[in-house]
Amino acid sequence: MRSCQKSTTETRYLKRIAKWFSTIFILLFSSFTSIALSSMIGPMPISVDKCFGIILRRIPILGGLINCNWTPQEEIVITQLRLPRALSTVLVGVALSIAGVVFQGIFRNPMADPYVLGVASGAGFGASLAIVFGISLPSISLIYTIPIMASVCALLTVFLVYTIARTSYGIPILRLLLAGIAVSSFFSSAISILLVIAGEEAHAVFSWLFGGFPIVGWEFIYVTAPIILFCSVTVYAYSRDLNIMLLGEEQAQQLGVDVEIVKRNLIILASIMTAAAVSVSGIIGFVGLIVPHMMRLIVGSDHRILIPSSALAGATLLTLCDIVARIMLRPIILPTGMVTAMLGAPFFTYLLAKSGRLKLRGS
Amino acid sequence: MVTLRICGVDCYYESIKVLENVSFSINGGEFVGLLGPNGSGKTTLLRTISRVLKPKAGTVYLNNADIYKMKSREVARNIAVAPQDAIMIDFDLTVLDAVLMGRHPYMGRFKMENERDLAIARRAMELTNTWHLAEKRINELSSGERQRVMIARALAQEPKVLLLDEPTVHLDINNQLEIMDILKKLCMKEGLAILAVFHDFNLAARYCDYLILLNKGKIVSVGKVEEVLTSENIKEVFQVDVFVKRHPITGTLHVIPISPMKEKTSVNNRRFHVHIICGGGTGAQLMKTLFEEGFIVTTGVLHLLDTDHEMATLLGITTVSEAPFSPITEENHKENLKIISKANAIIVTSMPIGYGNLLNLKAALAAVESGIPTFIIEDTPIAQRDFTNGEAQKLLSELKKKGAISVRSQNEVLHLLNRLRAKICTEVLSYEQIR
Repeated sequence: MRSCQKSTTETRYLKRIAKWFSTIFILLFSSFTSIALSSMIGPMPISVDKCFGIILRRIPILGGLINCNWTPQEEIVITQLRLPRALSTVLVGVALSIAGVVFQGIFRNPMADPYVLGVASGAGFGASLAIVFGISLPSISLIYTIPIMASVCALLTVFLVYTIARTSYGIPILRLLLAGIAVSSFFSSAISILLVIAGEEAHAVFSWLFGGFPIVGWEFIYVTAPIILFCSVTVYAYSRDLNIMLLGEEQAQQLGVDVEIVKRNLIILASIMTAAAVSVSGIIGFVGLIVPHMMRLIVGSDHRILIPSSALAGATLLTLCDIVARIMLRPIILPTGMVTAMLGAPFFTYLLAKSGRLKLRGS
Repeated sequence: MVTLRICGVDCYYESIKVLENVSFSINGGEFVGLLGPNGSGKTTLLRTISRVLKPKAGTVYLNNADIYKMKSREVARNIAVAPQDAIMIDFDLTVLDAVLMGRHPYMGRFKMENERDLAIARRAMELTNTWHLAEKRINELSSGERQRVMIARALAQEPKVLLLDEPTVHLDINNQLEIMDILKKLCMKEGLAILAVFHDFNLAARYCDYLILLNKGKIVSVGKVEEVLTSENIKEVFQVDVFVKRHPITGTLHVIPISPMKEKTSVNNRRFHVHIICGGGTGAQLMKTLFEEGFIVTTGVLHLLDTDHEMATLLGITTVSEAPFSPITEENHKENLKIISKANAIIVTSMPIGYGNLLNLKAALAAVESGIPTFIIEDTPIAQRDFTNGEAQKLLSELKKKGAISVRSQNEVLHLLNRLRAKICTEVLSYEQIR
């Protein structure tokens, strides 16, 4: 009887890793599918085989084996417009979801999202400044001025919040949260004031604030992809520390986690990721808040699976939302941030109703 | 063998001093109890030793290495903590997940738990009787179960020093003893050093080798159980009167609280003097109650070794004593009468009466005759406790005839005494006011 129980509990525990791999595999497949869909769908529909052909042709050696059965126009649409757009939605989805997991984990608060430390309002303020006053940085074109201003202001805001919250004995989470709220509200009103005086530019500010991918080219991806990938892997290295910090900081310290260092590093990493995402897409809500919760319902709270699966699910969700944003009211292209909540919320509600497992703290 | 030395530790929360110059040391195989009132710094001390709260002055040495200069992981491999109450976790974690967290200090960044980690976790869980809960979610457990899981997690760290914050507070008596026995065994067999916060003196006395008594952040007393657990120390620190006795069966020290010192008893109330005539243990409870209610209590004549006599001695009550098993001498009887003449009321308990203590009833008779209110408690019929061939029965009915009041219980007597006291006190007051 005893040995029978041993084999079940323990092997079940060890077998869980196989289950994790299959989850990751399914999510990887769905994100690739969504990239493919994103490349195919648009004002000029392009078939699957052409899509793959165009992409595979770029790969050395293998590329030589593929016949060109597409027009040069189609190739340009895929390589210069749709593929960079799809990849940037993936990157932003990954960045926001991981940042969401991290902030919810270290704050131990399910309402935390990537913008909890004021990244959104800081970035919004920077972007609004650039748009309204037409600030252009020397020797950089206006297209790049907005993202650069946004991400720099975002990081400055986080730094400000961090400095305000800091005490001699570390960074208490509650202080951080409150400082985040204070600084956020300050910059939100600053954005409102800018909107009032903006006049004709107000529309541009609005669509930036809602978040979307109007003008992404490869250069955005070349810059942000390494940053986001590096941060993601580093965050993953802290996944067990994040698990333990769910027990509270004191217990985490007693279990050998350097709480203050881990917290500081994670805040820095998640903020950089969020700032990088914001520089590409503007402020896209919902993904960073809800994707981690969705995945918690599906895979559980262990960050070793929660982080990668949230990243892939976020990428898939945002890519799908972007497709919808492009085709829903054709020829108008909606800001993607408007669609995320519209699609994500019903799905999340469905999961919530089905599982009945998510308990919101203090609500 | 491990040695933990706490050297001159001063701790502050913001600017409030919580620990002051705390120094002591623990070796492997020692079970040390930490006692002290709420807010005396016990938990803070555990936090300091577990590297959570860095002291302003002084430090903690583990085998001569300063733990604040060691890596967190290194410290966690040697010092484990079972916290007082595990915080409820909303994110779903199983019990096994929680216990395996104890393996964290041994695991590399990208490593997963292997079979060895599982085996260690399982052993810890079997020791604490939590293995059957392994696949339950931690927020489904009762507080007692959670407490045992926290101890299992601490044991999974394979520590040399185990710190426990009230390890038995949520446990039923069976689990309390079981856990304490396990801890004691680990301590003795595997050379674990244990430092545990207790609120239960008796549990501490039973299991600990040494005790540390903390008050207002300072060590009041440190040493062997019998050196620390004295009624003087406890009164100084907790403001409670206690008896400390060696228990005849377990052989360990036993602390019996009397009650917190009542400041409410006014001087007027203390003027009311009750003399109890008792014996054979029938008056012990009443003595204690009346003493706590703030009466001046005297008693006599009592034989030495009688339970009532022991209680009177413990309470410091004036007693007329007689040698064991001897009839009351004329001398002691007179002494008793002298005390009785000053009393405001007399109580005769339903004591067994033989020739040895028959004189006590005569003393009561004298009291009634001189008009002192006298109460006779008759919860046991006199026929069952009269060993004088009816002489006691005769005396008792004579007492009643002359105006002694028969009551059925101690509560009734207490009620009547309180009313009498109130009446007398107001009379005294008004008399003083008129004058």
